[in-house]
Amino acid sequence: MDIKETLIELCEIPGISGFECKAAEYSKNLLKPYCDKVEIDRMGNVIGYRNCHKENAKTVILDAHLDQIGFIVTEVLDDGFLRFTQVGGVDPRMLLGMEVTILADKEYYGIISCMPPHLVKPSEQDKAVPMGEMVIDTGFIDIKDKIKVGTPIVYGERVRELSKGVITGKCLDDRAGIIAIVNALDKLKDEKLDVNIVVLFSVQEETSALGATIGTYKVRPDYGIAVDVGHARTPDAPSSKTFEFGGGVMIGMGPNLNTKLTKSLIKTAKREDIKYQQEIMEGHTGTNAWTMQVTALGAAMGLLSIPLKYMHTQIETIKISDLESVSELIYQFLRTFDGEVRI
Amino acid sequence: MIERLKELCSLYGPSGFEDEVREYIKEFANLYADEIIEDTMGNLMVFRKGKRTSTQMIMLCAHMDEVGFIVKGITDDGMIKFGFVGGIDPRVVIGRHVRFGKVSGVVGIKAVHLTSASERKTMPKSSDLYIDIGATSKSQAEGLVELGDYGIFESRCVEFGDGLFKAKAIDDRFGCAVLMDILKDQPPVDTWFVFTVQEEVGLRGAQPATYRINPDICIVVEGTTAADLADVEKHNRVCALRNGAVIPFMDRGTIYSQEVFEKLRTIAKENNIKWQTKQMVAGGTDAGRIHLSRDGVKVCTVAAPVRYIHSPSCVAAVEDMQGVLNLVKLFLEEVK
Repeated sequence: MDIKETLIELCEIPGISGFECKAAEYSKNLLKPYCDKVEIDRMGNVIGYRNCHKENAKTVILDAHLDQIGFIVTEVLDDGFLRFTQVGGVDPRMLLGMEVTILADKEYYGIISCMPPHLVKPSEQDKAVPMGEMVIDTGFIDIKDKIKVGTPIVYGERVRELSKGVITGKCLDDRAGIIAIVNALDKLKDEKLDVNIVVLFSVQEETSALGATIGTYKVRPDYGIAVDVGHARTPDAPSSKTFEFGGGVMIGMGPNLNTKLTKSLIKTAKREDIKYQQEIMEGHTGTNAWTMQVTALGAAMGLLSIPLKYMHTQIETIKISDLESVSELIYQFLRTFDGEVRI
Repeated sequence: MIERLKELCSLYGPSGFEDEVREYIKEFANLYADEIIEDTMGNLMVFRKGKRTSTQMIMLCAHMDEVGFIVKGITDDGMIKFGFVGGIDPRVVIGRHVRFGKVSGVVGIKAVHLTSASERKTMPKSSDLYIDIGATSKSQAEGLVELGDYGIFESRCVEFGDGLFKAKAIDDRFGCAVLMDILKDQPPVDTWFVFTVQEEVGLRGAQPATYRINPDICIVVEGTTAADLADVEKHNRVCALRNGAVIPFMDRGTIYSQEVFEKLRTIAKENNIKWQTKQMVAGGTDAGRIHLSRDGVKVCTVAAPVRYIHSPSCVAAVEDMQGVLNLVKLFLEEVK
């Protein structure tokens, strides 16, 4: 598969938490060639099954989330303006002057209004405008018959290649994870496996982990690998909390994650010469692994992350080689996995 | 005019590096001009004989430059440290796409997860901002950009809402588009069309250009700040989109010629051209230098109201821009 093209195409399909259906349909089609069955459940999760047809085979669930952070209309004002709030965590300091797409019956273009500097008091120039004081300019004289309260809004800028092999844009968190999994399945397509694979593209990770909770409950996996994004290093972020951009797959370690599974993943990376880095997570991993670990009878979890800069902005940035190292590790691990992890 | 404006807004022309805009206009002007002058600074001055001659020398003025960036340093990890060229509001740059020549970049900000609540209430210092061009080392970045390279916002043109147009650099490619339109159809009177450089860094180009042309009357065609936004009180709005051409009586650089101002006002009224004046003394244009030239120049500005001026998403109404064009044309017809 063409990773870059498919990734960009998938990222351009809007799907804020709770409104994932278009992204779900597209992802379902991505999975079809690699699964015996693909379904969309009542909450919108995409679940694909690849059976190994062996007796008492263990089941491994691979999860990545479908939803993206975004905004939602809270009030329709006069003169074509909208008030809005966030869905998922957003830093308000990057919003002024930003282009957005409002997903009503039709898509509408909008700009987050910015007060001209001459109207900003000198004492307030350094202050960030809180989101509650911002409005979106739709350019219409009256918008009340076109857009309703509760309409989702996404970043408007397009996803693109920043430099060779570096992609920048919206919702790479976690569509990059989805592509990493599909790419791993592609590599596995001619391999005979000893385990069943279930792929879960889950809804509402950014808000309540709803999709991972009900998806895991349904599947009852023995093992799970959550594929998400992690923080890559930037000049304004502490280096202790960030990882090398281009440094390869981040393998999570900590109580949320099964030690034996994690060590097997590391062993596989070493054996196959896959570039990796270890992310030590002493508590909540902030990923679907947190809920998947304790759903139903519980699952032994692993966490693989793609280093990503500027998380939750419209300029999220990843290196394709990092995404590929995640795929390669999943592939190499599952190719040889007999259903038992040993240290 | 909108099609030409789209092309003009897409061009690369931060103050000090207006070459692409100048070449574009010059190529066009070559078809219609009686005389073309380019000066040392890069101003482009185009003369075209009118349908009649006037006792007064008429100059129309628009600036070619746009606000932008300049590379001031490259960090060890390959990030670009930069300065603003012209009056960019630092609050609108974070998370935006920029371009240094053919090299794309984004203005970065760390993930919201790594910020504290108090951090999110304060804007980062401009000196702490950086541009990511997708390089992972200093040497890789140095192969892509050099110190002193100029950059611009990357922003596509969009028509949206009820007759609105969004692009970067509407200030003042809109003025350039108006001048080109009048040049093309042969002006009613002999006219100098002056396309200036470096307006955004202190009205630099207008000074030698006006000295050379030595006009009696000058009309500056501009985009001007409009604050007709939700939550802004009426008296603070300066001017409003869809309320027509803006004819200011004064701004922070100029008290406009009362005679020309009244003339414009009368023409607008008599011809049913929507017009407004600024309700606040704000902003400034090349007129600030032009009116001081030689023995003095009678100068006025005719502007289109523009929301979010100096941001990558300037917004103007097509009907206002058309109104400005009509008003300036009619003025030339009536000038003695």
